[in-house]
Amino acid sequence: MESPAREHSEDTQEDQTIPKIILPSEFKKCSRTDLVVLISRMLVSLIAINENSSTKRPDDQITLTRYHSKIPPNISIFNYFIRLTKFSSLEHCVLITSLYYIDLLQTAYPDFTLNSLTAHRFLLTATTVAAKGLCDSFSTNAHYSKVGGVRCHELNILENDFLKRVNYRILPRDHNITLCSIEQKQKTFVIDKNALGSVDLGSYSYSNRLKSGYNVLDKYYQRIVQLVGSFDASPDKSRRVNYVLPSNFDEDNESSSARLQQPKAATEVSPKSHYSQKRISEAKDTNKYHKRSKPD
Amino acid sequence: MSSSSQFKQLEKLGNGTYATVYKGLNKTTGVYVALKEVKLDSEEGTPSTAIREISLMKELKHENIVRLYDVIHTENKLTLVFEFMDNDLKKYMDSRTVGNTPRGLELNLVKYFQWQLLQGLAFCHENKILHRDLKPQNLLINKKGQLKLGDFGLARAFGIPVNTFSSEVVTLWYRAPDVLMGSRTYSTSIDIWSCGCILAEMITGKPLFPGTNDEEQLKLIFDVMGTPSESLWPTVTKLPKYNPNVQQRTPRDLRQVLQPHTKEPLDGNLMDFLHGLLQLNPDMRLSAKQALHHPWFAEYYQHTS
Repeated sequence: MESPAREHSEDTQEDQTIPKIILPSEFKKCSRTDLVVLISRMLVSLIAINENSSTKRPDDQITLTRYHSKIPPNISIFNYFIRLTKFSSLEHCVLITSLYYIDLLQTAYPDFTLNSLTAHRFLLTATTVAAKGLCDSFSTNAHYSKVGGVRCHELNILENDFLKRVNYRILPRDHNITLCSIEQKQKTFVIDKNALGSVDLGSYSYSNRLKSGYNVLDKYYQRIVQLVGSFDASPDKSRRVNYVLPSNFDEDNESSSARLQQPKAATEVSPKSHYSQKRISEAKDTNKYHKRSKPD
Repeated sequence: MSSSSQFKQLEKLGNGTYATVYKGLNKTTGVYVALKEVKLDSEEGTPSTAIREISLMKELKHENIVRLYDVIHTENKLTLVFEFMDNDLKKYMDSRTVGNTPRGLELNLVKYFQWQLLQGLAFCHENKILHRDLKPQNLLINKKGQLKLGDFGLARAFGIPVNTFSSEVVTLWYRAPDVLMGSRTYSTSIDIWSCGCILAEMITGKPLFPGTNDEEQLKLIFDVMGTPSESLWPTVTKLPKYNPNVQQRTPRDLRQVLQPHTKEPLDGNLMDFLHGLLQLNPDMRLSAKQALHHPWFAEYYQHTS
């Protein structure tokens, strides 16, 4: 709580009163609480954009999805996410992956939009799938549903719906969102790269895939710090703190700085931005790969 | 996408770790498939093993990895549609047992199987996937002599930074010493150790280290490979379950261990290769790619390149 005396000098004091935290450049070294703060800020920003009257879809165009609650749940995104993280022992990669899954699900399922009715169920589903799909330590849906305040039967349906819609492309790898979208258009289970036709084949070929890894999660992490690291940048005011990346952080990605002016694009990874991002990371990884393949 | 009516369910092939497998016939194409039925449990939801197997195998299209063609969703059940394979390496070796005496495979067949095993594994590792349960039961073979990696229920992607790496992986007999001593930082070398155990088993027809518990498993390994020393494996003493009081052993000659069980002479290249896979220190083991370039395989890579 701000004291009335402080309010007078708000302009001069504000910068000093918001503590600054310098985050590690890799998300795995970041505290999980800080990650939850950042991701919650990002989600609340996205919800604000999606619910903004000028960009919002007209009511008659909204399709109710499995992710919709009847009324907005009576718990903030931040508190809900902290609760899931704490009582389901969610790992770092699960937290960041849930953000990646917004892009994945929206691509595969355009009727899905993140808003105050869908965010909670989405988060519960995304973290459940990520923990079970990526980690060695995970719980049953019975446990996740208890923590998340959703009936287990309902979570089972949500999980199944999610997996089916994204066609099990749940590994947070560089091009899985694009592959998922192509599989959906072609109505195939596994994409046949020979049948891709005019699409940029280079991005799909296995020889290229070998070089691409999981830098997508670190990219998401770095981007959210850039976008909502500042306390003022998001409507979510759960933690009064400014986050910055270390000053020696190597901004290697031109497209990410371009996106800074366009917050909405942060999680809308269009196929195009996806590619440009990939090529840059690939150029780097190629060197590594060649080095590694030499017998020691 | 397929529907369940497209397949005719034939005889049961076996019970997997979390599912029942049937032979199936694709009625439209006339092609045989393996149908793996996974029950959806009301507490568990979709089993993690199924989520992994599907999401990982989708990434792996290779002639030495069993193909996952499709997944069919029906009420309370998932059906994974796999490429059909006639047999697995375990059953194949068992079928060659005469009376109570196990018999190994001919060395040229051993080499062909091992080559295919490592081709499939190298592809997994290049795609940043650890199998973590390599054993003869999970290596499927067909009448053409092809060998393919199957059962990715314990597999996981690596490269994503995660905190928990379970040490409860790989069937005991094929589990690497670093994992037995509680290492949680293992990587691709975990699968290479299993490949070494499988190679020895193909030669002799019987498992190399058939332990009944973790402790006995390590003892069997050390009896043959010697106890690990800090000079050869600097970090070994820091492993959670490292036991400094274990009786010191010197390495035995592997050739003398294996030769009595096979008629064919085991040459220096083969023994050097096997040693490359069965290094106690995980950092010293060959990578799958390096293994494929070992002189033991010279006749293969000279033909292919």
